Amino acid sequence: MTGPDAATATPSLAGPAAPADPPAEGAEDSRHGLGSSLPRTDAEAKTKGVFPYAADLWAEGLLWAAVLRSPHPHARILSLDTAAAAAMPGVHAVVTHADVPGETTHGRRSTADRPVFAHDVVRFHGEPIAAVAADHPDTARLAAAAIAVEYEVLPPVTDPEKAFSADPLHPDGNLIRHIPLRHGDPDAVGDIVVEGLYRVGRQDPAPVGAEAGLAVPRQDGGVELYLASTDPHADRDTAAACLALETDRVKVVVTGVPGAMGDREDAGFGLPLGLLALRTGCPVKLVATREESFLGHAHRHPALLRYRHHADGEGRLVKVEAQLLLDAGAYADTSSDALAAAVAFAAGPYVVPNVFVEGWAVRTNNPPSGHVRGEGAMQVCSAYEGQMDKLAARLGLDPAELRMRNVMATGDPLPTGQTVTCPAPVGELLKAVRDAELPPLPSADDEEEWLLPGGLEGSGEPGAVRRGVGYALGMVHMLGAEGHDEVSTATVKVLGGSATVICAAVETGQGFTTLARQIVQEVLGVEDVTVSAADTDQPPAGPSARGRHTWVSGGAVERAAKMVRTQLLQPLAAKFGMSVELLSIADGKITSYDGVLSTTVAEALDGKELWATAQCRPHPTEPLDENGQGDAFVGLAFAAIRAVVDVDIELGTVRVVEMAVAQDVGRQLNPAQVAARIEAGVTQGVGMALMEDLRAPRGVIKRPSLTGYALPTALDAPRVRIVALLEERDVVAPFGAKAVSAIPVVVSPAAVASAVRAATGRPVGRLPIRPQAAVARPTGA
Amino acid sequence: MTTYARQTGRTVTLPASLDEAVAALEAMPAAVPVAGGTDLMAAVNSGLLRPAGLVGLGRISEIRGWQYADGNALLGAGLTHARMGRPDFAALIPALAAAARAAGPPQIRNAGTLGGNIVTAAPTGDALPVLAALEATVVLAGPEGSREVPVSHLLTGMDPLRPGELLAFVRAPLLHAPQTFLKATGRTGPGRAAASVALVLDPARRGVRIAVGAVAPMPLRPLEAEAWVAGLIDWDGARTLDPEACTAFGEYVAMSCIPDPPDPAEGELPPAVLHLRRTVAALSRRALGRALS
Repeated sequence: MTGPDAATATPSLAGPAAPADPPAEGAEDSRHGLGSSLPRTDAEAKTKGVFPYAADLWAEGLLWAAVLRSPHPHARILSLDTAAAAAMPGVHAVVTHADVPGETTHGRRSTADRPVFAHDVVRFHGEPIAAVAADHPDTARLAAAAIAVEYEVLPPVTDPEKAFSADPLHPDGNLIRHIPLRHGDPDAVGDIVVEGLYRVGRQDPAPVGAEAGLAVPRQDGGVELYLASTDPHADRDTAAACLALETDRVKVVVTGVPGAMGDREDAGFGLPLGLLALRTGCPVKLVATREESFLGHAHRHPALLRYRHHADGEGRLVKVEAQLLLDAGAYADTSSDALAAAVAFAAGPYVVPNVFVEGWAVRTNNPPSGHVRGEGAMQVCSAYEGQMDKLAARLGLDPAELRMRNVMATGDPLPTGQTVTCPAPVGELLKAVRDAELPPLPSADDEEEWLLPGGLEGSGEPGAVRRGVGYALGMVHMLGAEGHDEVSTATVKVLGGSATVICAAVETGQGFTTLARQIVQEVLGVEDVTVSAADTDQPPAGPSARGRHTWVSGGAVERAAKMVRTQLLQPLAAKFGMSVELLSIADGKITSYDGVLSTTVAEALDGKELWATAQCRPHPTEPLDENGQGDAFVGLAFAAIRAVVDVDIELGTVRVVEMAVAQDVGRQLNPAQVAARIEAGVTQGVGMALMEDLRAPRGVIKRPSLTGYALPTALDAPRVRIVALLEERDVVAPFGAKAVSAIPVVVSPAAVASAVRAATGRPVGRLPIRPQAAVARPTGA
Repeated sequence: MTTYARQTGRTVTLPASLDEAVAALEAMPAAVPVAGGTDLMAAVNSGLLRPAGLVGLGRISEIRGWQYADGNALLGAGLTHARMGRPDFAALIPALAAAARAAGPPQIRNAGTLGGNIVTAAPTGDALPVLAALEATVVLAGPEGSREVPVSHLLTGMDPLRPGELLAFVRAPLLHAPQTFLKATGRTGPGRAAASVALVLDPARRGVRIAVGAVAPMPLRPLEAEAWVAGLIDWDGARTLDPEACTAFGEYVAMSCIPDPPDPAEGELPPAVLHLRRTVAALSRRALGRALS
């Protein structure tokens, strides 16, 4: 089955430029290797409840930390007195801004605008002011509460539209970034013009495990930080700078990550820990309460989006004008990246000759915003798809047909001037969901089986329930954009019959360790592959986000494995006078093309240990210029989703019956995981569409708990039907695979909104959809 | 040295009878009685409450079931929501069974109790509008013997629990007529009520009683709407009502519970409140329609 001949089975789409096309291709139906649904390595431990998360860490003689957080969204700190707290029995140290030895500010993506501890001004509800280490968590909390802070409460700026004219909240000003995008003819007008105003609420990543960490002081004066970090090297560099240590004296060890939808709040978390460990000379542990978790970590950017679409009489888009305003919260974090994505994808996966966008990310006293997957792209998707529905209604066209007339394909330009060189099968995706069979309407006699909006014991009444079908298309970029150096390094080692992968790519639940095993199994034919845990003694692999690790770390693992393969086969090939390409490895056996030579990997190794380290660095990108132009993205992924919803039009309750997904995946490296990622993404998107909004009136989060913040439950999660996974390989991506997790989150909310529009006839401009927006007048009986 | 003192002062008593429980509470007035603990222990775990002692009510078998007394059911305060949701109980007091089934996920329903729901007195407590509509009374056991208080008096604070008193039983009438409980929530899965209504028919007294939950700190009874609709029903005949009358009843209930501001100059109610009023109207209409169908 497997062997060099099988390589000819590779679809012709994977052209000669494919640098990383595995030679042992075709092992598609074997039980290991790429393309197989290998179960996740951590699945068993997580199911049994023995998987060690950060909150499970323990060290002998450890102290417990607690952080004092601001109760006000905006206030001047007039005085700070820690004497009472420090004098409490059991308290070992109290640290404030004055105790930070190095840099006093930090930030992600090179904007260091966030203080380690607030000193003169607090800028959001929950901003850290001081931290305490004590011998018991309760003592630490009591001591933190005993720190006397005198505030002069200042009026908070909570309306992002007012941030422009408000007094600066920060020395850097209130405008974090402004991107104007000008593409085409500004005077173009269409026969038909539709306008819309769209709002997106604040989604919380709500990781299943709250933030936790342990800091252990080292003999050499350095510190080890055990954190559920998603970007250990960046967190190490931040910690080293703020603690005034050389980077080799700070080590970040990644522990089990209990859910990450983006960056976890690790810098703000690791720094007080490291400081307290250095100060006390003892290990210090911090476990955030759920309330602290809601206050402290980064949320999805709330957005206010104004759109004007011009189209001709046939429904072809002529011009898109948009004003995008993202609420960044008090500090820049990754707002610049989110804004770039929002501006670049403002028109969606459609061919639009003229696009004019103004995008701003502004500083407010609202809860902090940052990287949550699909950032920027998700917000604009809900708006441009709302506009497409409006256009369809105006023209009397079927919403799917209107979209079909405008879809983009490979070779079309983005409004940023970048040509879409990767596969962009948008039309095929839309066709797949449009032509998929609709779920049947419940018949009168199985009414009991029909889960009505409002729940099992709910108040739904079949007579008031309307069904709606809506469509949405969307796009998202993969890897960091605008010139980020997206590099990863991996080492592969083979000894005996087993292989080890050493890579600092963090397994956040996205399945990287499983993928790394599959890659090595595929290339080296070794069944037993272990992936070592990530820490900063390894070379950097970058953050776990935007499908990076499938691409760059997966690519690095593959290259390293191939180098080992060459080292392994070279002597054999030389001995038998044939080239390496004529030898193949499968199931731990090396065979020649003619079957004459057959030996095992262990024999060929002859007790030697083979090592190879390789890097993967995709082609460089460039920042968007002053007109929003530039080749800013490495790759793009697309999806089409059809949502079917039931709406109780009197109560405004919505239940999503089915989400039919067609996604552009490039290549399925692990079909079971691809399906799981899509189901998870769709469910998160449905939460964004219907219930998830962390409300912060006047900047204060009112109910920072999982009771107050509604997440989708099993009864809310819709049936996710994957109708098509288009495997058109992306020639520049390792294995031709595209990132799968973010795009369902981007598209699902827009699809649900579109379906609610169809069911109610209401405009639905705000996400999450509030019940009063989904109420309609009954049409007849 | 450590400040970590292993809860030396904390005492937990597990009485086996109501009398023992009352005695335990009398002996330690600062102790907090705990039944299912679904609200109390969440407060303890988050550090909001550090009770000096706990009196566990889980072993008092006399309050975990129910008995009949002169046409009434005497429900033990320790009845769990899961138990009340079962069909045999639903045949007895259908609205309370429906409220119990809607009260939360299975884990909560297995632990949470009827008495706990009343004593916690959360505005969104699902059993509360049902008890208000039933005009149930509660039996409080205390050091000076037991006394009986209408549930609404307890909930409004007119006659609150006195120190050392325990909620022992709930006396609810057996009406032998249709009852409904409907709840509107933000999601399909278990959630807190945005609004709920409990409606019971009382053919013996020719009455319709409805209570609206979650829109105010305690359940609201629109007495005029009840009297109006009871007068329209042909109690000896088919007991049906025009859909228009049901709609009018719904609006009557909603306007009584969420009235317009007394001064029209104050402007209209905010959209969210208007939606809540429409929700109450729809729920009341549906509740009456289902009870009469």
